Amino acid sequence: MQTQFEHFAATSMLGRKDSPPRCDGELFFEDSWEGRAFGIAIALSKKGHYEWEDFRQQLITSIGEWESSHALDDPSWNYYQRWLLALERVMLEINLIDSVELEQQLAELITQDTFY
Amino acid sequence: MSGYEHFKYSTDREAYSAARVHALEALLVKKGVITGSTVDQVLKYFKTEMGPFNGAKIVARAWVDPSFKMRLLKDANAAIAEMKFPPGMSGAEGEHLKIVENTPTVHNLIVCTLCSCYPWPTLGLPPYWFKDPTFRARAVREPRAVLKEFGLVIDPAVEIKVWDSSAQIRWSVLPERPEGTAGMSESQLAAIVTPESMMGVGKIKVA
Repeated sequence: MQTQFEHFAATSMLGRKDSPPRCDGELFFEDSWEGRAFGIAIALSKKGHYEWEDFRQQLITSIGEWESSHALDDPSWNYYQRWLLALERVMLEINLIDSVELEQQLAELITQDTFY
Repeated sequence: MSGYEHFKYSTDREAYSAARVHALEALLVKKGVITGSTVDQVLKYFKTEMGPFNGAKIVARAWVDPSFKMRLLKDANAAIAEMKFPPGMSGAEGEHLKIVENTPTVHNLIVCTLCSCYPWPTLGLPPYWFKDPTFRARAVREPRAVLKEFGLVIDPAVEIKVWDSSAQIRWSVLPERPEGTAGMSESQLAAIVTPESMMGVGKIKVA
């Protein structure tokens, strides 16, 4: 299985310029949840709940954890899963949410069958 | 805490992540931290106000105005402030921008080895491969080979410099003005500048 980077390299070598989901500066989210996770992180920083640098450090940590426990070309890599983990950690750290209420909210959504 | 280990397959993890993000957003709305439209507004802003179209205008201005180019290479944020971009250009990862110039003897490539620092206001959000662990590791170790995979063969006589973006500095490349553009206006020039050229993984071609 190709990594995303190899996929980009291969498609650009084949001359299919529109194959990489870049789309001239449009957003690059592969799935809508990635965009929501991105937007939440920005919004909370903009509203002053944390310094962007604090989020960035959490992101560096969560990416570093993955990289130290996986081969770099492991196809299970997903950037926004690391982003989401960092987001949850920073939100818990500043007590914006607590893990009990998050799990409750998650259970509620799953019961409503919104996602499955 | 994450619970990811319970999900063995990537499709499960995708669905789980989606549910989790949805729960986070719903919880924040419930608590009054954000509203139901906050995230949409953020995404819209990034779509319409921040993107490589800004970077392209900066490159085109530098090509037609040598004194602007000098100011840009010396202090990018001060020079860009002259250009009347929408408010917010200096925030959200736009601070501490530095621009390096490609020349006949030097080719520049930008990367962020730790996470994915990137000058959002001028280049938009980084493409997915910029965030890939393989790219981040290999770009530093073997830039010439990586560029070749992007279809860009750099003459062995040309030095390749790799710039690692960080919280302190976000790098962007000023590509070379291509041959055959002598008669073009600033806006025509801006139209041919690609995001790849401003990251150093592509050269600008004139149709």
